[in-house]
Amino acid sequence: MPTYGNEPESGGRGRDVALAGVILLFALGAAYLPPTTQERISAALQVSALRPFIGMQSLLTDAGARRVRVDALQATVDSLSSAMSTHQSVADENRTLRALLGLRERAGPMYRPATVNRPGTPGSESTFLVSVGTRDGVRAGAPVVSPEGLVGVIREARISNSVGIDWTHPDFRPSAMLADGSAYGLVESRRGAFREEDRLVLNGIPYHEEVDSGQAVLTSGFGGIFPRGIPIGTVLSVAEEEGTWRKAYFLRPIAEPAGATHVLVLASGAGDDASGLWEPDTLGVPPEADEEP
Amino acid sequence: MNELDFRSVVVWIVVVVLFVVHFVLHIGLSYGRGAPDLLTLGLLIAARETSLGRAAVLGLFTGLLEDAMSVLAFGANSIAMTIVAVGGAITQDLFVGDSKYFLPAYVFAGKWVRDLAHWVSVGSEVRQPFVEQVVVQGTIGSLYIAAIALLMSRVLGAWGEV
Repeated sequence: MPTYGNEPESGGRGRDVALAGVILLFALGAAYLPPTTQERISAALQVSALRPFIGMQSLLTDAGARRVRVDALQATVDSLSSAMSTHQSVADENRTLRALLGLRERAGPMYRPATVNRPGTPGSESTFLVSVGTRDGVRAGAPVVSPEGLVGVIREARISNSVGIDWTHPDFRPSAMLADGSAYGLVESRRGAFREEDRLVLNGIPYHEEVDSGQAVLTSGFGGIFPRGIPIGTVLSVAEEEGTWRKAYFLRPIAEPAGATHVLVLASGAGDDASGLWEPDTLGVPPEADEEP
Repeated sequence: MNELDFRSVVVWIVVVVLFVVHFVLHIGLSYGRGAPDLLTLGLLIAARETSLGRAAVLGLFTGLLEDAMSVLAFGANSIAMTIVAVGGAITQDLFVGDSKYFLPAYVFAGKWVRDLAHWVSVGSEVRQPFVEQVVVQGTIGSLYIAAIALLMSRVLGAWGEV
C-alpha cells in the first residue's frame, strides 16, 4: 500500500471526526424517520440517481414482454410452435399473458395490466415495482393479482409506478374464507428458517371447524382492502392448535411471487366482489363441483 | 500529474465503475444475490482514499441508494454502509496495507461487518436467521468480493503500485 496524503491538521481532523459522528447519527436516525419522509427520500433517489438502472430494468422487462406480444404471436403461433417448444421460459410467459388477457376480459377495465420489476437489493426482498401508478387510478392498498390469484398488495403508489409487497411480507394479512364460505380467518405470512421455507398460514379458524386438505381459500372481502373471491391458496395441513378453540392451517400459495412478471392491479372503484373472475379449476375445485346434481 | 495524483484518479475511476456495475447488476439486470456486492467493495476502497468525514458522507449516500429500493427496512443499509465507511477510513491510521494479503483480508472483513451491521439494524421482524444471513451468506458474499478485489488488484498491476 502506498503512502497516503499529508496528515490532516489537528483542527481539520477534529472537524472530520465531528462530521463523521453527525453523519453516523443521521444514518442511525434514518431508520426512525416518519414513513412519509422515508418514502420521499426513496422516491427522490429513484427518480434521480437510480433512474437509469430502474429504466434499464423496465426496458429489459418491456423487451421481454414485446417478444411475446399476444397479437403478434396470434399470427405466427402455428409456424413458431415448434420453435417455441424449445424456449420453455418464453412459452411460459406467453401462457401467462394469455391467461392474464382472459382474466382482464372477465374483470373489466378497472383491472390495470402491469409489468413487475424486482429491485434485487438488500432489504428489498418481498417487494416489487409495478408499472402503473396514481395516473392509472392505482392507490395504496390496491390488490395485485395474476391469472392464478392474489400476488400481493400495493404499498405505495406514485405517479407512474408503485411499490408492492407480496405474500412473503410480514404485513401481508388479507382476511380470508374457505371457498364454500364455511369458515373465515386471517391469512398471514410465516417466516421459515430460510426464505424457501416461508409459508402462508390461515389463522383464526374455529377449533371444531373441519377443514380438509386441498380446500381453496379466497379473500373474504372483510376489511375493505381486498375484494371478495380472489384465490389465495389451498389448505395443506394443520399448522398449530390453540387450546380447543382455534386452529391455524398451512396453505399452498396459489401464486408464486417470483414467477409473476405480468399482473393486474385493481384501480380504485373496481368494486368489492371479484367472485367469478377466476375459473373453478384455478381454485383447485373441479368444475363439475359447482354443477347441480 | 505526479504519481500520487495519477494513482488517486485511477482508484476513484475504479470506485465509480464498481458503483455503476453494482446497480446495473442488482437493479438493471435483477441478479439479486447472485451478483457480488460491488458497492461495498467500492466503498471500502474509497474509504481508504479519503478523510473520515468524507468517507462517512459517501457511506451514507451509498446506503441511502440501497435503502431507496427497500420498503422493508429503510435505514438499515445507511447504517451499515456508514459504519463500514467510517471503519474503512479509520484503518488508514491503523494499517499501512502494503502486504499483498491486506486488500482481500480488509475487503472480507469489511463486507462481513457490513452484513452483520445490516442484520442488527434491519429489525427482528424482517431479518433472516443469523446463521443464514450473516454466517453463511455473509461469509460467502465476503469471500466473493475478496476474490474480486484480489483479481482486480492483480489486473490493475498490484494494489497501490499503479
